[in-house]
Parts: sequence; structure tokens; C-alpha cells
Amino acid sequence: MKEKVKTFLDSDILEKYLVGDASKEETLQAERYIAMYPEVRDTYNELQDNLENFAKLYAKKTPEGLKEIIIASAKQEKAVFKRFYKYAIAASVAIMLFAGSSYFFWSQNQSLQEENTLVTNKIKYLEDNMKDQLEDMRNQFIVLNNPDTRKYQVKGEREGKELKAIAYINPVKKLSYINVSNVPQLPENKCFQMWAEVNGELVNLGVIKEFDDKDKLLALPYADKAVGYITIEPEGGNTSPSVENIVANINF
Amino acid sequence: MSTLIERHIVSLLAEKDDKAISLLYENYGDTLFGVAYKVVKDGDLAQDVLQESFIKIWKKADTYDASKAKLFTWLFRITRNTAIDKLRSINNKSDKEVQIDVSDVYNLGVSGISPEHLDVQENLHKIEEKYRIVLEALFFEGMTQQEASDELDIPLGTIKSRLKIGLRELGKIYGTTMTLLLLLNILP
Repeated sequence: MKEKVKTFLDSDILEKYLVGDASKEETLQAERYIAMYPEVRDTYNELQDNLENFAKLYAKKTPEGLKEIIIASAKQEKAVFKRFYKYAIAASVAIMLFAGSSYFFWSQNQSLQEENTLVTNKIKYLEDNMKDQLEDMRNQFIVLNNPDTRKYQVKGEREGKELKAIAYINPVKKLSYINVSNVPQLPENKCFQMWAEVNGELVNLGVIKEFDDKDKLLALPYADKAVGYITIEPEGGNTSPSVENIVANINF
Repeated sequence: MSTLIERHIVSLLAEKDDKAISLLYENYGDTLFGVAYKVVKDGDLAQDVLQESFIKIWKKADTYDASKAKLFTWLFRITRNTAIDKLRSINNKSDKEVQIDVSDVYNLGVSGISPEHLDVQENLHKIEEKYRIVLEALFFEGMTQQEASDELDIPLGTIKSRLKIGLRELGKIYGTTMTLLLLLNILP
């Protein structure tokens, strides 16, 4: 017999395992030895037989009626189990439905929230845009209807000969607008760009787009004794005006 | 090797068939009641223990693994441990004290023996008391060999040898009974 099998059999692990007193580790060890070593298996089987025989020596007649009580309890337990099982299935279905609908509503809520943010931003943008436009319209109205407003004809020179524009300046309200009514055709790689000299500095007023900005009043930054220029610049505009390309002067 | 009735009960248990409980009770009820009584030493308590044990057996039916233990071993474990737990919860004493009490009353339960148990009771007396005490301490009273050695004031080596001899004696008794039964069946 192997030494470790003998050591195992000499210990009381197998007896403890037999009566259900073994710890988790001892149980694993006992089950492993029973499976691996025939002599341990035989001893265990013998112990089981002896335990049964020994316990039988203490057999005692069960009281009358106990059997019926026990059977009734077991049946009740079974009914409870069946009921529990039924309820468990119902609860599981309900939980799954609830989880499914929760997820559906959650994702709905998420997309609605995103949509809401988008709409809010859009409204805010439109509101700001509308305010700006209203302000612009109001100013245009003031400028055009105010008796203090002076009107200047702007005519182009050289390549911009056909350029026609009217500048409206109101020194009282300190507002100025320009209406470019005709923009001459320029080569594809060129464009008209407006500038204003305000307090000694040249401010870029942007590129005049050929069609879009025609007959539209464009606000100009106001300054006393300001000078406006229109230059021909490379397509897309320039960062500073090309003096040699000035095609119009607007003296306010 | 499991008997036919054992296999039948196991299959009924696995199917959660009520008949399993009835068959278990008929085949093992008295022995398990005796085990419960031996541990708790009170008829009413032993009834409670048996009832609780049967409910546990019924609930745990699907955990029984025939490859790991005989049906009786499994039933014994549940009943014995339910009885020990019951005793602990009632007495709220240490396991040690309980075991000392139990070791004083080895012959309890004899008065409740029915005629069909007389033969096994006779067999009980065929085992020398010194072996019986050790077997009872280890099988019924939840003691380890070391604890039995301490409680009974017997050296550990003697506990081990008495356990082995006691079990051998038990085997001899039943071996003889089985041989006699076989002879009775064979002889005309």
C-alpha cells in the first residue's frame, strides 16, 4: 500500500467524510482518494455498510401518525415549490418585459433628448439670426428714412468701371450702409473686396459676391471721416488691401 | 452495491414523485428516527428532527449523487446533522457539553424498541461497550477522533484501533446473520 494512502486511511478524514463532518478541503481530498485508490474505495464502502448496520442497531419505532405528517409536509413543500416555480416564471417574464420596455423607453428618451438639444440649438441660432436681421432691418430703416442720412454715389474706376454702388451714411445715428447695385464681371480668380479705414486702421468688410450681394444693403462700420475702398483681390479675398487695385473710394 | 429498492427510491426522488417519501419512510424511517433520538435524546425533538430531515431530503433530492454515497449514507448525514444542529440551537451550549451529556446515556431508546428491532438490539449488545462508545461518539455525537480521545480520556491510537475493531465486530455480526439467512434460504 502506498505510504500516502496509508497515511490517509490512518487519519480520520474518511470517517469525517462518511458522516458529513469533513471540511471542504477534506471532502475534496476524500473524493479524490476514493476515486483514485481501490483500497480507499473499498474501505469507504465497508464504512458505509458498517455505518448502516451500526445505525440500524439504534432503530426506534416511529410514532403513529408521523408518517402522514411528514408526507403532508413534503406535499405542501412540493406545492409551494410548484407555486414558487409558477410565480418565478411569471416574475421572470415580467422582469424581461420590464427590462425590454425600460430599454426601449430609455433609448427613446435618449434620442428625444438629443433631438431636443438639436432643436433648442437650432431655435437659439434662428433667434440670434433673427435678432441680428431685425436689428439690421431696423438700422436700414433708420438710415434710409432718416432726413440726416446722406447718400453717396460710388462709381468704379479702371477694371471696376461698371461697379455701381450707393452708400448711405447717417452721422447722427452713426450708421452707414452700402448698396452695391452692379458688380462688373471679373476673371474667375479675382473678386471685389470692401475695406473701411476706421481710426487709421483698415478693416476688412468682406468680399462682394457677384450675385448674392447685389441690391442688398451691407452695413459698414461707422467712423467719423471714414474712408471706404473697394479693391480687386485674388479670389477668396485678401488680408490687406492692394492699394494699386483700388477701384472705388467712398469718402463719408 | 445498491439494492433494487434503493435504486427505485433514488429514481422516484429524482422525478420528485411523492411515493419516494413514503418508501423512504417505510425503509429508513425507524433507523433515522433512532439516529435522531440517539443524538437529541428526546422523543418529541426526535420527531421534529425526523420531519425536518425528510423535508430537507425532499428538497435536496436532486443533489443526491449515487456515485459519491449510498442512499443510506446520504440520509444519515442529513438526519444526523439536522439533529446535531437542533440540539445546538436548543441547548445553546457548546458541542463539548452536549457530547458529555450524550455519553452518559447510551442505553436510551431501548424502552421504545418494537419487537422487529429486538434482533438488532441484541446485536448492539454483542458489540463490546468500549467499542460501542467510540462508534457512538464518532457517528452520532459529531466528535472527531481527537475530540473523542479528549472527551473519553482514551489515547488517540486506542480510539483508532477501537473504531477499526468495533467496525470489524459489526461486520462479523452482520456477516454471520447474512450467512444464517442464506443457509435458511438454501436449505429445504
